[in-house]
Amino acid sequence: MKALRQTLDSISIPIIAILLGLAASSIFVALANVSPIETYQKLFCEGFGPRGCQNFGDLLFFQVSNGDGGTSTVFSPLYGEGGSRIALLLEQATPLILTALSAAVAFQAGMFSIGMDGQFVMGAITAAFLGYWVPDQIYLLVGVTDPEAAPIILKTIMHGVVPLICLGAAMLVGAIYSWIPGYIKVKLNVNELISTIIFNAIAVQLITYLVNFPMRADFNNIARTRRIDDTAWLIPFNRGIFQDVEWFSGARVGVGLIIALIAAGLVWFYLRRTTAGYEQRMTRGTSLFARFGGIPTGRAVLRAMLISGALSGLAGAIAILGVERRVVDGFATGGTGFDGVLVAILAKESIVGILLVAPFFAGLNLGATNLQFGDLPRQLGGIIISFIILFNAMEDFIRQRLRALLRGRYWTRKSSATSGESTAV
Amino acid sequence: MSNAIELQHIRKYFASSQVLACDDVSLSVESGEVHAIVGENGAGKTTLMSILYGLLTPDEGQILIKDSPVRITHPNDAIRNGIGMVHQHFKLVPSFTIAQNIMLGIEPNRAGFINVNSEAEQVRNLAESFGLPVNPDLPVREISVGMQQRVEILKILQRNAQILILDEPTAVLTPQEVREFLTVVRRLAGTGRTILFITHKLAEVKAIADRVTTMRRGRNVGTHFAKDQTIRDMANLMVGRVVTLTVEKGPAHPGETVLQAENLLVAGADGIPAVFGASLDVRAGEILGVAGVSGNGQTELVEAIVGMRPVDGGTIRYLGQNITHALVRERREAGLAHIPEDRLTTGLNLTTNLDENVVVTSYQHKPYSQQGIFSFAPIRALAQEIIDKFAIKSARVGEPIKTLSGGNLQKIVLGRELKGDPKLIIANQPTRGLDVGSIEFVHKTLIEARDKGAAVLLVSVELDEILALSDRIAVMFAGKVLAVLDAKEATEEKLGLLMAGSLELHEANAERAHV
Amino acid sequence: MNTQAQDSRRYIRLALTAIIVVVAILVLLNLPITLLQSSIRLATPYVLGSMAAIVASRAGVLNLAIEGMMLVGSFIAVAVLYRTGLDPLAGALAATVAGGILGMVFAILYLRIRINLIILALAVNLFISNATVYFMRTQFDAFGTLADPSIRALPTLTLPIIDQIPFIGQLLSGHNAVVYLSWIMVVVVWVILFRTQFGRHLRAVGENKAAAESVGINITRIQVFALTFSGMLAGLAGSFLSIGVLSQFVDNMTDGRGWTAITVSLFAFEQPIAAFFTALFFGLSEALSFYLQARPELALPPDLLLALPQIATIAALVIVALRIRAGELLKRREFAAQFGRELSKLRQGQIAGD
Repeated sequence: MKALRQTLDSISIPIIAILLGLAASSIFVALANVSPIETYQKLFCEGFGPRGCQNFGDLLFFQVSNGDGGTSTVFSPLYGEGGSRIALLLEQATPLILTALSAAVAFQAGMFSIGMDGQFVMGAITAAFLGYWVPDQIYLLVGVTDPEAAPIILKTIMHGVVPLICLGAAMLVGAIYSWIPGYIKVKLNVNELISTIIFNAIAVQLITYLVNFPMRADFNNIARTRRIDDTAWLIPFNRGIFQDVEWFSGARVGVGLIIALIAAGLVWFYLRRTTAGYEQRMTRGTSLFARFGGIPTGRAVLRAMLISGALSGLAGAIAILGVERRVVDGFATGGTGFDGVLVAILAKESIVGILLVAPFFAGLNLGATNLQFGDLPRQLGGIIISFIILFNAMEDFIRQRLRALLRGRYWTRKSSATSGESTAV
Repeated sequence: MSNAIELQHIRKYFASSQVLACDDVSLSVESGEVHAIVGENGAGKTTLMSILYGLLTPDEGQILIKDSPVRITHPNDAIRNGIGMVHQHFKLVPSFTIAQNIMLGIEPNRAGFINVNSEAEQVRNLAESFGLPVNPDLPVREISVGMQQRVEILKILQRNAQILILDEPTAVLTPQEVREFLTVVRRLAGTGRTILFITHKLAEVKAIADRVTTMRRGRNVGTHFAKDQTIRDMANLMVGRVVTLTVEKGPAHPGETVLQAENLLVAGADGIPAVFGASLDVRAGEILGVAGVSGNGQTELVEAIVGMRPVDGGTIRYLGQNITHALVRERREAGLAHIPEDRLTTGLNLTTNLDENVVVTSYQHKPYSQQGIFSFAPIRALAQEIIDKFAIKSARVGEPIKTLSGGNLQKIVLGRELKGDPKLIIANQPTRGLDVGSIEFVHKTLIEARDKGAAVLLVSVELDEILALSDRIAVMFAGKVLAVLDAKEATEEKLGLLMAGSLELHEANAERAHV
Repeated sequence: MNTQAQDSRRYIRLALTAIIVVVAILVLLNLPITLLQSSIRLATPYVLGSMAAIVASRAGVLNLAIEGMMLVGSFIAVAVLYRTGLDPLAGALAATVAGGILGMVFAILYLRIRINLIILALAVNLFISNATVYFMRTQFDAFGTLADPSIRALPTLTLPIIDQIPFIGQLLSGHNAVVYLSWIMVVVVWVILFRTQFGRHLRAVGENKAAAESVGINITRIQVFALTFSGMLAGLAGSFLSIGVLSQFVDNMTDGRGWTAITVSLFAFEQPIAAFFTALFFGLSEALSFYLQARPELALPPDLLLALPQIATIAALVIVALRIRAGELLKRREFAAQFGRELSKLRQGQIAGD
């Protein structure tokens, strides 16, 4: 009973925030002379519903026509004709989960690092490079001239090893890229928010340069790197184990999601079950307490930054190895890392929360992106999210108002609260 | 003579800390008098004055100025009614000059542009007319504490205050400055101004006040003419009992020297020297009390000893080993325990649960963790052990601690710190803000630790506590240890003089020792 | 007692500054004048942005939404001109007002509703970057870039007399109104902060809230005013980007300049005049990256050059931190030395006493 009440209590504010966020954003929809209800219906259908979803009801149950002309009702999330959108949403949630975990680890060490974007693209470019370079070297080493004709045993071994090398290297690069702002914070007290933002910008320029010049593969209109070797590919479910399951057919969701879920478990274990996680959590907030207890706070923070960077780098590598298979110009400004920060903020840094918010966020983005083929630009998604974040951050304010509302003393309470504030010392 | 101020039935309850700070307090002050308000820490003096100055609003009661009721809900109301206050912690802007601080809020200006010349001129005139010379162009961060206080007084005089509230004005002054200050107060009273003087230094009351009101636990327990009262009378009224705190304790059996600090030099916040050549030593099986008015370097001294603040000079030895620059963890592993001044932010982490709080000093060791992974059963057992041993009623294993009372929180700290029989215990204000029962418990616990052979360094601003617990007493003033007395020879008067920075006694003692 | 040491240190510092200034001038003189001229021009958003940062942080609030406030200014300036076809100056004015309104909203959300400052700033910046593109499409049917012949850039002004001076004239004359306005704003901000009652109160609030409150200064009001003013400055800075350099609005055209502006203010220790010169340096680094890009014969990677200002920003952050650290160390050492002297005096006294 108590657990139920606590759960209800902890999810009530996010739900209120989502509703308020949608309500506030509807003003913007209306300003564009479009009906908000219809827009939201479309937004959610395109984000979370099955193909052909028309209204909110279809999100749950959906009428599909049978071969014989009649219709039958199906449970929408399981409906996979033409590829489920839920699978697509999971594809897009995968890097979000990882970058959000990355943000949560940093935040839970008291570091407001939002450098996930930079670490993400640095990881991505590392994986994209090693994805073809490492196989090249291996072929060279064993003397295979035509990779197509390489012995199957070699390919099998490489399938196991090359992705691991790429993922590992991407994590390392991400970790280093996160460690630098951490180091100048710990040693010199340089504001990590500003430094990580600038590090993000530097990473974007660096990747743009690499993609346009040294790593440019061909004379394609839009600059892009060489495609990674097949042996570096994290084969998505729809090409691998679930290739006959139509539900997966439209999405490149794959091993990456499993890695992300395992990472979530490990991060939870690290934060809650290990002394290292304990050290970084105690360092946050009242770092006086940590210093008092003899916790090496600087080390704890730097470790958190390394882990945070590794997670973002991993996200970037998975985006490349599992989905994109090459870096195309403009990839760096996609903002996946920053979205991860927002997911972590919305989830109040809880691991379970991240696993719930990331798909929601991905669906909202997906729906908004599909909206742009209609009347409204996808930026509506960003507007909704920023409002949800604002309302979610007003927790105390909303609680206070709610309580007053429930007591039916809204107006009297308001006046006394303001007068009380001004006299408080 | 008419009443300058009359407070009637003032009541103030702090819901957050559940303290009834003022309980039906009535008080009248005549024009032109120096009226002292004395009482122990937490007796409600400062709360009462904050109400008078509009920083707090009373729950009940009213304020009369010159016999007519006024509403004071903001310092501006107080200023309008001719009330000025010099706070215990000065409210000055460090980078501003003296003139800028004095004129803050009432700058002479034309269309919003400040007339700098007239500003300096006004301050100079003001200073001259009261015989309190200042250099208006000096930045406040570069002047002495005494001068800062003068600036504060000028600030309220410039606002034409007829009623001056001085909150513990001498706490931060050197003896010379105190002497000078007292003449200033006299002079101001001579100009017809009314002075409300909060203090707990009874000698000053005797020297300066016309009348004295004593407060105890939020109540006014009597207003008397200062000349009719002896210091002893006032002290008895203040504490409300002739016998002060006694704690049953046997004689100490001091052993080897555990802690030895020599010529310590420690910077406080902003790099300003806080500990300036302090030396002391604590032996096993004794309690060394460190007495002193707060802000004389005690906190920084403690932080330096436990390793939370870098030492700029001098040495700290622990059992003969130099630990001046050792890490907190190294000191703790060697057997140092620390009961910090602020249990809410330093001693405990209120955002987490009991288990994570009790294990902060030992989590890296077996059985609490192995290879960096926690074993929760031993941690829970430790938490339970502390709950049982210290009878912490409302605490539960694995539950948040933020709702516990101050006494229970302190028991958690004690339980954790005293686990494993530390060789050296540093306790800084261990009973601050606790109820009587908890205070007794803390005292008993410290004595027990001593009897088990621990060296205890007890820092407290409560003289009673120091006198009751200590075997030897060191007095700190202005970052130095002025003297170390045997507890048997120490009296409240002696300590009070030393705490006020009087070296005479110290020197007299030294002479006696020579003879 | 240690004035001598202070004096000598001051001389050393003066000498060092002089050397740096001379070297800088020598280096600058060797650069092409067009480069210097565009440095001065490109410094404008940093000049105004850093003033915005200074005004807010002097009042005790770190304005982390300058980026969004600038972007609003860029967009509104173009949007207003597109809709009304008015004089470009009207666009700059509208941008200033829009920035001010955003600043006030930010202040109210932070000071009254008490949203966490960093989360608030992230949300505001996110909102603005999305809302500008959203409106660009829904209201103006523009994709990525909002440009139209009706949107005119700010005209360049020729300064009388100064124009005639060789070199200096080329350097200082021929910029647009917002550039000159930004210089004026440096003086205005300085005057407000250090010569007016409002500025005095603002600084008091930023430095010691309790002191300000105890003399009856309304802290919230000061901070709301400061953030509004800060927003206005940022909005004006944004207008320079859209109608000062170009005559169009581009998706996310501030591109981190708001954050750099905050760094400028930190680097200058929140001194307006120092911030002005720091901003010039950032203008130079930006101009340099454009200048080198336009020289294919040098074969320098263009995107890496674009990162030049950012790398300069990181360097600036680290230098500031080192300076603060060095200052603390110096203070410590001074105090240890003072103690040493006192101790030896004490020892001598003891010997004499014996």
